[in-house]
Amino acid sequence: MNMNRRHVMGLMGATASGLFLPGHLRAQQSRPSIRIAVQQVVINNTLDPWNEQSNVGERALYPNLWEGLLLRDWMGNQGPVPGLATEWKRLDEKTVELKLREGVKFHNGDEMTAEDVVFSLSPERLFGDTQPAGGETIYAENFSRSTGKDIPAAMPGIARRKWPSLAGVEAVDKYTVRFHNATPDVTMEGRLYAGGSIVASRRAWDEAESYDAWAKQPVTTGPYYVDDFQPDVSLTLRAHEDYWGGRPPLETITFVEVPEVASRVNGLLSGEYDFACDLPPDQIGTVMDAPGLEVQNSTIWNHRVNVFTQDHEQLQNPLVRRAMTHAIDRKAIVEALWANLTEVPAGLQFDSFRTSDMFIEGWEAPEYNPELARQMLQEAGYKGDPIPFRLLNNYYINQVPNGQILTEMWNQVGLNVEIKMKENWGQILAQDSPRGVRDWSASNTINDPISPMVVQFGPNGSAQQNREWTNVEFNDLCQVMETSTDRAKRKQAIARMLTIAEREDPAYNILHQNAVFTGMRSNLNWKAAPAFAMDFRASNWPGQS
Amino acid sequence: MIRFVTSRLFRAGLTVLSVMTFAFVVLRMSGDPAQVLLGPDVPQNVVQDFRDRWGLDDPIWRQYLSYLQAMMQGDFGLSMRDRSPAIDLVMQRIPATLQLTIPALILQLAFGIPAGIYAALKQGTLADRSVIVAAIVGFTVPSFVMGLLLVLIFAVTLGALPSGGASSWQHAILPVLTMSIGGIGVLARFSRSAMIEVMGAPYIRTASAKGVSWSDVVRNHALPNAAVPIVTIVGFMVGSLIAGAIIVETIFSWPGMGRLLIVSVTNRDLAVVQCILLLVAAVMVVSNLTVDLLYGWLDPRLRQTTSAH
Repeated sequence: MNMNRRHVMGLMGATASGLFLPGHLRAQQSRPSIRIAVQQVVINNTLDPWNEQSNVGERALYPNLWEGLLLRDWMGNQGPVPGLATEWKRLDEKTVELKLREGVKFHNGDEMTAEDVVFSLSPERLFGDTQPAGGETIYAENFSRSTGKDIPAAMPGIARRKWPSLAGVEAVDKYTVRFHNATPDVTMEGRLYAGGSIVASRRAWDEAESYDAWAKQPVTTGPYYVDDFQPDVSLTLRAHEDYWGGRPPLETITFVEVPEVASRVNGLLSGEYDFACDLPPDQIGTVMDAPGLEVQNSTIWNHRVNVFTQDHEQLQNPLVRRAMTHAIDRKAIVEALWANLTEVPAGLQFDSFRTSDMFIEGWEAPEYNPELARQMLQEAGYKGDPIPFRLLNNYYINQVPNGQILTEMWNQVGLNVEIKMKENWGQILAQDSPRGVRDWSASNTINDPISPMVVQFGPNGSAQQNREWTNVEFNDLCQVMETSTDRAKRKQAIARMLTIAEREDPAYNILHQNAVFTGMRSNLNWKAAPAFAMDFRASNWPGQS
Repeated sequence: MIRFVTSRLFRAGLTVLSVMTFAFVVLRMSGDPAQVLLGPDVPQNVVQDFRDRWGLDDPIWRQYLSYLQAMMQGDFGLSMRDRSPAIDLVMQRIPATLQLTIPALILQLAFGIPAGIYAALKQGTLADRSVIVAAIVGFTVPSFVMGLLLVLIFAVTLGALPSGGASSWQHAILPVLTMSIGGIGVLARFSRSAMIEVMGAPYIRTASAKGVSWSDVVRNHALPNAAVPIVTIVGFMVGSLIAGAIIVETIFSWPGMGRLLIVSVTNRDLAVVQCILLLVAAVMVVSNLTVDLLYGWLDPRLRQTTSAH
């Protein structure tokens, strides 16, 4: 291991402090602390996952701070595992009952009970005045506002996107709750472990002066609590000694916001940070060549796509959109930009669908066939009119070079696609003319194809709400996906939806699965999850070698 | 003198108002804050709620008038990101920025001016050439390159200094150096030119011919006359220090106002951006005003001209 001045000073300080501390504090002191350089800690300066709907937020908030009744198996198959609830069962098509884990302590020392769960999914906390699809909210008496705290305007909408039909949560007894849906829903368990059942302390909420004050230091049950949060600067989490899952292995975890890639890499090389996240593939070699460092890479549940706009004169004809999907050599992109460290998916599908038997075997991304693309353009009578391609400056890793490659491939078959650089999402999504195609990504959060197909491209998904694309048959099938409990019928529906959205009347152009690259000290022996989240629980911290 | 100060103050106020107006219009023309802040995946009804709440659908002139009215009452608006008063967010960041800019300015003045004067007095020698080369390197290398270079040498290779962050005074060394080097170069070059020009003036020759010692010539005749152009450039540099901090704070992850500006512009956090721009404009205006007033103190001829007017 390379030793520099700071390592020596740190060692001396640790040694000196250890000599003068009482025994029980020395035991705590023996736990290491880590520093993680990230591009951004959170986007909207709160630590509330319902408000912070972002990939970077997932990393800072899960699974170290927030926990749900069911947890996502971050280091395994990403399926549900017991969390704050030890068991769960279906009572009927609309109701799930869960038994809470007894003896779970919040960071403020309170025991978690059903009352906290009811509060955590209440109108006061999440839904505001919104009503569940297909029925009226029940158990309204449980949710009367006691503090008048004003939740952000965006939250009820976000909450209804995750729980469109949740009518309410009922406290059956101190350790039993029931989730009641207004409509039948086979994905209720999925929603529970996809961040839909995270629990916060009711008392801490009541005692907070405002939502904003609470959301900067939420009191949860997680293995680490918020020790210090400086928006846009850093977040320090400290070990929660009464954690139900056992003693957390780290004393503190500090996420430091380092927006520049070069600065993150330099910080890792110099020993300032133990981890450097969000590395682009071209930095992998630099880190791997340094002694004592390595890069963990993993594909994540997120596919890169281009979204088509039907109101563009040329793109109204599905043949032109289909030609665009057949003009792309996806394998070449994965090889050139991603060093083969990710893959071309089977359409807008994820491996997680296999666990619910909803994966359509044999389905693939559109074939790379330039000749077929040219033929389709000829049939469509395409005369070379320009098609604008709205692009952000590397919001996604490799976004600009990827956009340039796509444009060249499209131009090779006779399409006249022009890159229009934009500064922010407002400009990307603006409904002004001309708009043709734009970049996006589609995330899967549960082991069911409802996410992302229905969530992002359905009638209430952003693409349709932004008037980019719509299809009547597709929308009817979304209803089947959302309300039917007949597995075979749902599987048939998603197969047909893939055919519509990727072949007959393309809504998007699937590109490749996304991946994350994390530089780290090799001797930590830590493993990256196939997600943005970084798991620092005891089960994923074998300790330094 | 009162008329002079009044006219300068009027111009200063006009400049600040122009900056505010320009920033107000440009920010609103270049993207919807609701969509930027809420992201691409949020339902449109949520976006619309946000727009309604923040009055973003009002005509721009009405938004502008409301903004001016609030400003007159000392209300700089709320941050759309975390709903805190924008002025509070900015004030929280000012100390961190000053921790870099003040030492950087002191270093620039302490090394830039003496180096330039020394080079002028040693004109044509190896020492002069060395100062000129160092000055050119200093102000031509962009600060982001200089910063990364310093990190590579002192943090990565030598392991002597932290590469980024702000948790100790050692963390400030590299960012301060990065901010200083360019300014030292600029000041050295301007000081040298000003001194060379003054040293060639007839009154210097006259003083020397009258038998005044070389050191008295330099101290009493050359330096005061060379001070006017140097003060001008120092005035510009003070005003641009905050702007320069943007890049340095980003490279070194320093939690100052420059970082806040970048984040706020990216997120179209209108109130915060406007607040920072207003502050930057005010610093610029005040430093220029100070320079104008210093002219009169340094050069009695300018005082007389103003009085004659």
